[in-house]
Amino acid sequence: MDYFFFIDLIQSTVDGLLFGTTYALIGIGFTLIFGVMRKLNLAYGAAALAGTYIGLVMFLTFDAHPAIVFLASAIGSGLIGLVVYLCCFRFTPENYPMASLLASVGMLLFIDEVVIHASHGLPYPYPSVFRDAIIEIGDVWVRGDLLFVFFMCVVAMGILFWLLYRTPLGLATRAVSQQPRAAQLCGIDVTRVNMMTFGIAGVLGGIAGAMTAAAVGVLSPVIAMGLTVKGLIVVVIGGLGFIPGAIIAGLLVGAAENIFLLLRGVTERDIYVMLLLFIFLTLRPGGLFGNAQSRD
Amino acid sequence: MRLKPLLTALALALAAAPAVAQDKTINIAGFGASSGVVGIFGQNSGAAMAAAVEKINAEGGVTLADGSKAMLVTQYYDDRCNAEEGISVLRRIASTDAVVAVGPTCSNVAEPLFGILQASVDDSGDTGLQFPVFTDVAIKGGLAGISEWVFRNTPSEATMYDELFAWIRETHPDAKTIYGGVEEDFAHSRFTWYSVMKTAAEKHGFEIVGEAQWLLNDTNFSNQARGMRRAEPDVVAISAHPFTTCGMLREMARQKIEPKVLVGLTSSSSLETLTGCANEAEGIIIPTSFAPVNDAAKAAAEAVGAKGGALDLHSASAWENIMILRDVIEASGIEGTPESLEEDRRKIRDGLAALTEVNGLLGTNKRMPDGEAVKPYVFVNAASGNWAVLHNPGS
Amino acid sequence: MDFYLGLLQIIGVHTLLGLSAYVVLLTGQVSMAQAGFYAIGAYVAAMCTAMFGFHILPAILVAGLVTAFVACIVGFPALRVKGLMLVVATLAFGEMVRMFFFNFTWRIERGGELVGPNGAEGFRAIRFFPENGWETGDVTVFIWCVVAVIMAVLWWVDNSRAGAVLRAVGHDETAAQSIGLNLTAIKVGAMTAGGMIAGMGGGIYAHTVTHIEHLVFGVLLATFAIAYPILGGLGSVFGTVIAVVFIQGFLVEGLRFMGEWRSILFGALIVLAMNFRPTGLLGERMPRLFKPRPSESKLEPKGAE
Repeated sequence: MDYFFFIDLIQSTVDGLLFGTTYALIGIGFTLIFGVMRKLNLAYGAAALAGTYIGLVMFLTFDAHPAIVFLASAIGSGLIGLVVYLCCFRFTPENYPMASLLASVGMLLFIDEVVIHASHGLPYPYPSVFRDAIIEIGDVWVRGDLLFVFFMCVVAMGILFWLLYRTPLGLATRAVSQQPRAAQLCGIDVTRVNMMTFGIAGVLGGIAGAMTAAAVGVLSPVIAMGLTVKGLIVVVIGGLGFIPGAIIAGLLVGAAENIFLLLRGVTERDIYVMLLLFIFLTLRPGGLFGNAQSRD
Repeated sequence: MRLKPLLTALALALAAAPAVAQDKTINIAGFGASSGVVGIFGQNSGAAMAAAVEKINAEGGVTLADGSKAMLVTQYYDDRCNAEEGISVLRRIASTDAVVAVGPTCSNVAEPLFGILQASVDDSGDTGLQFPVFTDVAIKGGLAGISEWVFRNTPSEATMYDELFAWIRETHPDAKTIYGGVEEDFAHSRFTWYSVMKTAAEKHGFEIVGEAQWLLNDTNFSNQARGMRRAEPDVVAISAHPFTTCGMLREMARQKIEPKVLVGLTSSSSLETLTGCANEAEGIIIPTSFAPVNDAAKAAAEAVGAKGGALDLHSASAWENIMILRDVIEASGIEGTPESLEEDRRKIRDGLAALTEVNGLLGTNKRMPDGEAVKPYVFVNAASGNWAVLHNPGS
Repeated sequence: MDFYLGLLQIIGVHTLLGLSAYVVLLTGQVSMAQAGFYAIGAYVAAMCTAMFGFHILPAILVAGLVTAFVACIVGFPALRVKGLMLVVATLAFGEMVRMFFFNFTWRIERGGELVGPNGAEGFRAIRFFPENGWETGDVTVFIWCVVAVIMAVLWWVDNSRAGAVLRAVGHDETAAQSIGLNLTAIKVGAMTAGGMIAGMGGGIYAHTVTHIEHLVFGVLLATFAIAYPILGGLGSVFGTVIAVVFIQGFLVEGLRFMGEWRSILFGALIVLAMNFRPTGLLGERMPRLFKPRPSESKLEPKGAE
């Protein structure tokens, strides 16, 4: 059985790394929002879920091509992200973060209930790409659809980096996240930057939600909470406000989760993931790379 | 803030009632999760109860102790699958003129709820609530034993799976091994695999070659499916609710796991599984206590459909409960006045406790001394996006 | 009548949950661990009465003390992180506690039956109240006595130097430190107090529902715990009570006639409340009504600078 165990280990790691890119995307989304606003948006996972449902509607009513469904999910989440910004962050006081925190909680409950109401709580099939494709490397089977998920997430990250480092909007965003007052003094419209950040984060969340649903093949409201919790863990391990950290942390959490599942079974898996979080918090509160501007 | 005017209006209405209404009514309350992720259960039960009550009223209503007729009224209360709220709802129901309550739908509400009821009747030292509850949906094993005020009309999974594995043994003599998949963190699915399916499988000569576990909202089943693939089982039994059942079935399809026989959890023999993964679920066999196999069942299904619900094994219990309660009301001599409320409730409890056999939609339900039921069942399998009856032991 | 008494029980228990988060929130720490402490209190108190035959009062106290101990231990590493990181850390802790109880099985035989927590199936037959002749009214009075005592203590703390110290840390840690306040002691102390209150609340909760399981103590409950004080306002303990009454009394029970729309309205109302009254229903300063008469003005502006 030792050979099989070894194979299982490799397999778990590979699966976990591929799936971990979705966690990375959610982590990036949280990080982006935290970066510009220094606030936590707890409605993020729910917004991603709701956007994914919009994509689902495309699938169910128009039998749309998966590409369109994913695009609709991403854009839908982006729009919902904007709505969340307007409802929870635009008008709440800057210096009283608890108000926006609770508002985002209210938004989370609201979005969740709307989704459940609209779908009657029934799970629906979600299109996935390369569902049956498997690449066999010896005894290790690499799932085609997970490779696609990985690829899509990497593309999303690439586009994000391009946005952040090669466009004026990106420059404005980075300025606001580093020095909000100074950015404002330079004439940058902080509100507009915040809005766009929420929109972009929303799009990332939508892609993560779509990819998760595509990997499972079924979409149900229950996945929102899991995405949120994992995303938060990723943000902390990766270092607040540090995007490359979120990416590595996402992959790490994805792989660790699967390996713990293999080693200790499903009932203890999450305990170990949390322990991993605590180890990082105690040993490296600044995150994986320790250089996260530990402002806060 | 809105409660006061509502209460005042209610008080005035109640005060005016005796002067106005000569038509007596008997109030049977329904409660369960009718909103939220599992809201479909409560919605269906509510519709089934409304349809059943309508049928009885159309046929003249129920006969009271003094020979007069009374119409049944029913109202459904939402407990959102939350234990505290379920208890609050039952207390609210007990403060109305309802003589019995049908519900709850969630097992995690049922267990706490039954605990606040008086455990043994006539135990004056027990200050638990004295109100009869006739459960339609909450199916986790053994709960009726918690209180003598509780009766359940849920199928006995132990009996059904025992028969199912006996039948599989007969029809698939070459099937030797079984692999189980179980949703670990949900009490019902967990109980059913470890205490029901596993026991039944072993009893009928199947060898358990492995178990896979996952959690309610897991999204990745690769590890579990891989273990299953290596074991190459003849039979796969999945004790999980529709979301993870579908997820696991898709993973199995991807890894090309094709067992000879696929068995599912009773609760998954519903619309949800077919909406989620009709293709992958093709051929899954589930024992159920309701399928429209006879005229009465078909008529009931239509009536419930007209009320906006669907009749499945869960809501069919709600329908049957109303019919059984009608018979109990008539046999127990209910007076139906505000003064006789406590006595009426006790009479209904005693009437339910005395039953040994009742008419169900699929045949005769046996009523056990501990308040549970043993119901006739059929095996259905998913065929072309619908549930079709595979085997009907009753015929 | 039974129904209203039952509702008051729920409000009382949730007030304890909210107050446990209130104490910690005063020091500026947003703790999502209160549901975890609630869970520990619930299981400990239930084990005391159902398995070891304790009376309810010592059981609640033991639950409070055990939970306070755990909270104290949690308080120390919590010091190293602030803000968002603390939220996540406490959330993770809460989930760990839940997972622990998911796996925890310990049953002993009492009166011919196995009693005790049974892993994923939960802990049933916590029937101290009905088995000992406590009527619904008795339980309600008991719960509100506990709540009243705790509120009185917190109120007294709020109006004494300790309260000012807590709030000082909450408003500006650096400034507080610079006037010589011991941040460690204050924050860990607040966490411990919060843990104790949550533990007692959880212990009572277990007995009002007679059956507890791990799924009850999840992220949603942790969210409600911090929602009550934030919605009610951090100005005084009454804010939390008002918020609990608003949510459990009005939103959950009062809006029952709305059917399915009740839950949707719930979230919407919270969003609206936070936009229109961001510092909570009763605000962030103690409402004038409740202010004790100042014996001497503490902050007399001594003329122009």
